[in-house]
Amino acid sequence: MKDQSRFSELSSMSRRRFLVTTGSSTLASYLMLNRPAWALNADVARSGNFGELDATAEEGIDLYLENQDLLIGGRVGRGITINGSIPGPVIRMTEGKDALIRVHNRLPESSSIHWHGILLPFDMDGVPGISFAGIPAGETFTYRFPVRQNGTYWYHSHSGFQEQLGHYGQLIVDPAQTDPVDYDVEHTVVLSDWTFEDPHNVFRNLKTIEGYYNFQRPTLANIDDQMQATGMALGEVIGKRLSWQGMRMDPTDIADVTGATYTFLMNGKSADENPVFLAEPGQKVRLRIVNASSQTYYDVRIPGLPMTVVQADGQDIKPVETDEFRIAVAETYDVIITLPDDQAYTLFAETMDRSGYARGTLASRVGMSAAIPEPRRRPMLNMADMGMMMKGGMEGMEGMEGMEGMEGMEGMNHGAHDSMVMPMGRHAANGLPTENLVERVKHGPSGHGPASITMAQSAYRRLDYPGAGLGDDGWRVLTYSQLRALERPPLRRPPTREFYLHLTGNMHQFIWGFDGKKWSESDMIRFEYGERLRINMINDTMMSHPIHLHGMWMDLYAGGDLDTNPRKHTVNVQPAELLTVDITADAPGQWAFHCHLLYHMEAGMFRTVAVVRSLEGGSINADA
Amino acid sequence: MLMHSTRLLTAMAVAALLSAPAMGQNKSGMGNMPNTSDLPVHQESAKYHQGSTPDLEVPPLPEGMTLDEVFNYAESDPPSHFPDPVPDDQLFGFVRFDQFEYRVTDDDAPGNLGWEADAWFGGDINLFWWKTEGEAIFDGANEGESENDFLYSRLITPFWSVQTGVQYANEWTPDDYEDRWSYVLALQGLAPYQLELDSSLYVSEDEDLTLEFEGEYDLRITQRLVLQPRAAMSFAAQDIPERNLGSGMTNADLDLRLRYEIKREFAPYIGVRYQSFVGETEDIMAAAGEKTEQWLLMTGVRFAF
Repeated sequence: MKDQSRFSELSSMSRRRFLVTTGSSTLASYLMLNRPAWALNADVARSGNFGELDATAEEGIDLYLENQDLLIGGRVGRGITINGSIPGPVIRMTEGKDALIRVHNRLPESSSIHWHGILLPFDMDGVPGISFAGIPAGETFTYRFPVRQNGTYWYHSHSGFQEQLGHYGQLIVDPAQTDPVDYDVEHTVVLSDWTFEDPHNVFRNLKTIEGYYNFQRPTLANIDDQMQATGMALGEVIGKRLSWQGMRMDPTDIADVTGATYTFLMNGKSADENPVFLAEPGQKVRLRIVNASSQTYYDVRIPGLPMTVVQADGQDIKPVETDEFRIAVAETYDVIITLPDDQAYTLFAETMDRSGYARGTLASRVGMSAAIPEPRRRPMLNMADMGMMMKGGMEGMEGMEGMEGMEGMEGMNHGAHDSMVMPMGRHAANGLPTENLVERVKHGPSGHGPASITMAQSAYRRLDYPGAGLGDDGWRVLTYSQLRALERPPLRRPPTREFYLHLTGNMHQFIWGFDGKKWSESDMIRFEYGERLRINMINDTMMSHPIHLHGMWMDLYAGGDLDTNPRKHTVNVQPAELLTVDITADAPGQWAFHCHLLYHMEAGMFRTVAVVRSLEGGSINADA
Repeated sequence: MLMHSTRLLTAMAVAALLSAPAMGQNKSGMGNMPNTSDLPVHQESAKYHQGSTPDLEVPPLPEGMTLDEVFNYAESDPPSHFPDPVPDDQLFGFVRFDQFEYRVTDDDAPGNLGWEADAWFGGDINLFWWKTEGEAIFDGANEGESENDFLYSRLITPFWSVQTGVQYANEWTPDDYEDRWSYVLALQGLAPYQLELDSSLYVSEDEDLTLEFEGEYDLRITQRLVLQPRAAMSFAAQDIPERNLGSGMTNADLDLRLRYEIKREFAPYIGVRYQSFVGETEDIMAAAGEKTEQWLLMTGVRFAF
């Protein structure tokens, strides 16, 4: 990092003027957007032309939610616009000020806005059914809260499937103090997925026909392809396929909803529309990247340009230079790049299942573009995703990175519900251990009933594993173990209580939950106000799940020391992974805790968290 | 939503019965419901629990609420006018015609319209199933037969459902109509190696015991072209003269269908079936001068909605 003293507030203002949201030459206001003159298709505006609003300005801001036809990837779709655009406007705030946002619901149904990753009073959190009743059709709700953090975040509807219809946007909180990140120009990058189908229909398809959107399954026709890609003989490929069939699993079940129905968007633009991000060679460019998808994980890279990751989930981290990173649904990453020359570079966001991509161009002028990389082969799950470690029998497995050093690890037996037994000697005097946590737990009998298919024989730390389909390309890929907080966040101390939480699902029936139960079958999870709590998440399923806690940070155990564990609002838990987060329960009230894959959440992979005065007994009598 | 509230009410009633003494101290009543934090996985590990830290700064609270009011709120159920945060107990309905086809035999018999279809309605675990199969002469005299199973189905393991209910079977010709009710107990699901299996045990109103077994497998040639072998076998536990069945295995159908999934819900296909009576039943049929085995060609469409 360079000398930071030159970043006065003044220069931070001038930097902001550089913000180019999409490559359209103007930051169009809402009213301008409604003028059809520039639109290609009569009265239909194009998606991806959004403005910017300052929500901590004295007078506050107004957001208008509407059903509107938009040209999305060249085709007319009916989405939910915020101030006329998909994504909605970039909302800026300044740390230390009060945000004031009036949301006018012009939809024919109830709606909401959740400020993803923002710490606020629970009634401002925007989750219908938990924070408030929702914003009824035709009504206005006023959000007002003090802004106590900074960084890159986003906002979205928490009502039904509205998020799938375009109800999201980026939220940037400028720091009250000097920004430790050094940059000259910044760009918003909102990744998302769009379908022209009714999302209710998508959900029904998932519920009624297994693998409805998967057109990359193992077939007779692609046996040869698999042999060539893996170097396995015919007999081995068939044997491997039979073993998956024997388990009633599909190793290509990487994404529930795919490019078969999705158009993948970057700032509301399809890959063909090629959004452009302008920068002069030599400038430090900050890309604020948000994955606002309903279901899609993206692998982001800029061929030919290294990226320096400086923020994750809005929190400054120690800069890490890398070539590619996987961004789970609802995560954000800020990266710094510098164009070395006057060439165009492709910002490439390939979906995890390789069924499509979003793409944009970094260049010094509009109209430039660079080559689009060849799509990579779709990944297949492997035995490591089932927590199966076999000595010697590892030949032919893809993606073995996560398995190094498994031998000799301290294992512990762990039935579904008797998993809290920790080795006694490991406890620090004032709480649970914070370093060198147990690497692996054996899986007992599932015990989670018909709603859970558990194939994993054990769950283990996968912090160094970049994810299925990554890591074999000869370039660097970011992993969670590389995320270290830039500065020690406040309230860091060893946790004093812990529990295990299983991420469960029945992929065959599309049932999702925690510990085998859906939200409607479960009761609240209670946190005691002020406690430091550890949740050990165990992913029993064969899919990755982005787990999001509202209202409070999750301090991700990323393999290092307590002081530098990064704070996350959303943690990606990979198949068969044992992932630990520590939480300071400092936000009284009720909060949502859920998988951020929209269709998993709606299927019930959701809990209400209550931060209560005391775990003893019932409610507190205020007069006592 | 309705089911959810019913379940809540039931749960509340149960909780009230189980914890009657505690209820009196708690206005909402819900605070005493079994809580995830009571489950072992969410239980406090008391040994290491040290209570709250006093140095915590109270964060901004909802406007007009004190900290105690927020805690009281946090302990209670959300206000009744709040919707469910996620509608995860929705009921779905689904209809699939696995077979809807025109069948021609290798002799001069008239062609048949044959079908096999399932319709279900319900949640993830508890469902109502209607399975129907049968055939009717397509061109000529109005003759046909059908079997309709009306079942309550419960998912008991991740891949298997137990089903129970009644079957209504009928046969008709221009001059005659016969029908029969049976009790059904079925086990349906996905076996290892992705075999779809369905076995049904029938006890007819005449107390005859029969068993039907069906298995099928999807062999994907390409992403949309699927070859589906299928076997159906029937067994009788006793001789049933009025149905021309002898005890033991009675008949078998072996099918092969090749479909093209234009959509997942719409796949035209062609197929072939070998149909045969077996064992004592074969003898009975042969004695009656009926054909005991037959080849059929089918063309049809598999569809769902």
